[in-house]
Amino acid sequence: MRATIETEGEPVTASGAAQPRIRISRAGMRYDAIEVFRDVDLEVGDREVVAIIGPSGCGKTTLLRCIDGLLPLTAGELRVEGEPVRGPREGVAMVFQHFGLFPWKTVAQNVAYGLKMAGQRPDAIAAKVAQCIKLVGLAGFEHYYPHQVSGGMQQRCGLARALAVEPRVLLMDEPFGAVDAQTREILQFELLKIWEMRPTTMVFVTHSIDEAVLMGDRIVVLKGRPSGVHEMVEVDLPRPRSRATLTLPRFAQLREHVWSTLMADAIAAEHEVRQ
Amino acid sequence: MSAAESLAVQATTPGRGLTLDSPLVLKAIAGVVLLVLWEGVVRLWAPAYVARPTGIARVFVGVMTNAQFLADAGATLGAVALGLAISLVGGTAVGFAMGRVAPVEWGLRYYVNSLFATPMVAILPLLALWFGYNGDTRLAVVIFASFFSIAINAADGARSVPIEFLEVARSFRARPLATLADVVVPASLPYLIAGVRLGAGRALVGAVVAEFFVSIPGLGYYILYHSRTFRHDEAFVGVIVLVAAGVAFDALTRWLTRRYLPWHRRQ
Repeated sequence: MRATIETEGEPVTASGAAQPRIRISRAGMRYDAIEVFRDVDLEVGDREVVAIIGPSGCGKTTLLRCIDGLLPLTAGELRVEGEPVRGPREGVAMVFQHFGLFPWKTVAQNVAYGLKMAGQRPDAIAAKVAQCIKLVGLAGFEHYYPHQVSGGMQQRCGLARALAVEPRVLLMDEPFGAVDAQTREILQFELLKIWEMRPTTMVFVTHSIDEAVLMGDRIVVLKGRPSGVHEMVEVDLPRPRSRATLTLPRFAQLREHVWSTLMADAIAAEHEVRQ
Repeated sequence: MSAAESLAVQATTPGRGLTLDSPLVLKAIAGVVLLVLWEGVVRLWAPAYVARPTGIARVFVGVMTNAQFLADAGATLGAVALGLAISLVGGTAVGFAMGRVAPVEWGLRYYVNSLFATPMVAILPLLALWFGYNGDTRLAVVIFASFFSIAINAADGARSVPIEFLEVARSFRARPLATLADVVVPASLPYLIAGVRLGAGRALVGAVVAEFFVSIPGLGYYILYHSRTFRHDEAFVGVIVLVAAGVAFDALTRWLTRRYLPWHRRQ
């Protein structure tokens, strides 16, 4: 297969050159008459963090679900760790937008779910669950049911469930989209810390430009109908990132750049609707 | 604050002890009023053999300690329990298959819905001919009465498992049987419980009607026999036992739901 990837003039990041975890080439997706995206090329390297951003309905979530193996592409090729994706794979885990926690399982049982499905031994499961629950700050809430804890804690639980299986690729679908603004900020910085402790390849979908710039090494801007990779923004902010990152002039520049790219599109879309 | 206002306020704050307007006391007052009305109406206008509270109270202990009555009650309630258990296992299996396997649904849906809608009394004579004038007919009627309500509810439950949960299961590479046990069954439990409660009521009716029709020993036949021989107070003790069984089963399912499904209705 072709090793070179075209990303509208943007060079492929150096970290992705050795052995890309994810390689998407000329990917296309259509539901009957509706073509969602076309000719999407993307390569994600080991321990690289890629944010996917774009207007509503541009197929961000669909692309993420394809990477997880929940949906097959209708065109092009998608490889994870060199192998074509034919369904959900070991080593890839997803954090769902609306948490996707089982209401009949306690926090600990939810976190244990992936390990249980992977057929791990009960004592190994217990140890990993305790570790992950501590990592996401849920210690003391093991035996609560999801409805008994806040939205932020529910998403911590969803994150712990994905981290527990020790994924090499972590996918997140608007991970903090369903929690309030303050909780969202707290969770963003905690996720950055967790990533520093356990760096994995991460692809996440977001509507928040700040979140994309703060967390990503690169930002994929999806745009158009059918959508495609409109721009690939390199985020050259130093790591580890923290609250201080938000005050850097470069952060503001990048934020402004992504904003104008996205908003030009949004304004154009508004005009289109009005005509 | 007027008296009416204070009553309204206190009615919404139970657990303040046994004041004159606490829910428990109001319940008791309503019960006593109904009993007094019943007693009065029967004494004033009804023939002597018609059941009334004092007459029932007089025969109650005697009937409840009568070995034949206890055997009859055991036969009826035992048949209901056995039939319900069979319906629960079979109906759940059929319902889950319908809810999760499209060809099974297409094949069975109309028949299950039609059989659910069939009045059990209408096919009782046929069942009596097939199973004989004995306890088998009663068991068949109980199963017929409860099976389809359980199957339909199990199918509804299995069909309405949120796609979100099934997707999580798929993402974590759950095998089909693990998904059935971990996702489909728990997600369907509220529906299943509703089906069992509905089925239990129908099963109780079915058992009594079967005894009326095929004259086999049991609570239903006991009530019929004592009604026809003008011993209505005794007959009414049988009715009380049936009501108590229905209420007890309902309370049991509620308790099991609270105890084992704490997440139910709290999402």
